[in-house]
Amino acid sequence: MINSNILVVDNCKVDVENAKKAFSILGLKDTLYFAENDLEAWDKLQGNQKISPIPKILLIDINQEGIKGIDLLLKIRKHEDLKSILIFVITGTDNEKNKSDALNLNIAGYLHKPIQSDKSFDFFSILYNYWNIIEYSSEKK
Amino acid sequence: MIQKLVNILLVEDDEVDVMNVKRAFSKNNIKNDLFVAGNGVEALEMLRGGIVPLPRIIILDINMPKMNGIEFLKEMREDENLKNISVFVMTTSNEDSDKINAYNLNVAGYILKPLSFEKFIASVATLKDFWSLCEM
Repeated sequence: MINSNILVVDNCKVDVENAKKAFSILGLKDTLYFAENDLEAWDKLQGNQKISPIPKILLIDINQEGIKGIDLLLKIRKHEDLKSILIFVITGTDNEKNKSDALNLNIAGYLHKPIQSDKSFDFFSILYNYWNIIEYSSEKK
Repeated sequence: MIQKLVNILLVEDDEVDVMNVKRAFSKNNIKNDLFVAGNGVEALEMLRGGIVPLPRIIILDINMPKMNGIEFLKEMREDENLKNISVFVMTTSNEDSDKINAYNLNVAGYILKPLSFEKFIASVATLKDFWSLCEM
């Protein structure tokens, strides 16, 4: 069972809407948080808007303009309380450098966004099912 | 996509479990090449010796003789040539400390082996779907 908050870092309105819609159908609406860029995401992980408990799942589009994704991933991996977060890169564009940097930071998966909106529910369902078969550690005190 | 190309290294000491993974793979029509190592030491030898060709992912048990899953992960993540490999833990250990250690070493998922084979087949089917979305 998914017992985790989920943070989505994306600034494409259509993609965010698709994710919201799918996660709402899948019953994850209440645990979902959004950030438009790396700074806002950090604020929600460690700053003023800190989400509690800390999300164990992060979805991020590292190739979107205005999001310094690799910088954020590096900060997460270096932080004692955040380094264990499961990071799923979800992107619509190709960037081999970003991809290899992300894979070197041990992301849980590098996934391509579905191009057609009507495929996006299937896409998020697969992710959801995967999150349901994996175990999570209990909350940090 | 992962399922077409990737070689899978299963690190597992229990022969019955190895057989179950093979059966679950075949039930799910997973046709990737599967390599088996009986413990962490053997797995590192196979990876460093080029026995498992690139690209590759690892399915890792936790409780094993000689070098357990967590010790293996630590050593693997410190090795420049191996550190970026995706690792999926598949174990009967429900210890929180194992989960914490595994996620701190950035495994892509920690899967408890279900008690029934039917459930295990279903978990592997879900894993296959997820792999089909992943790029390497």
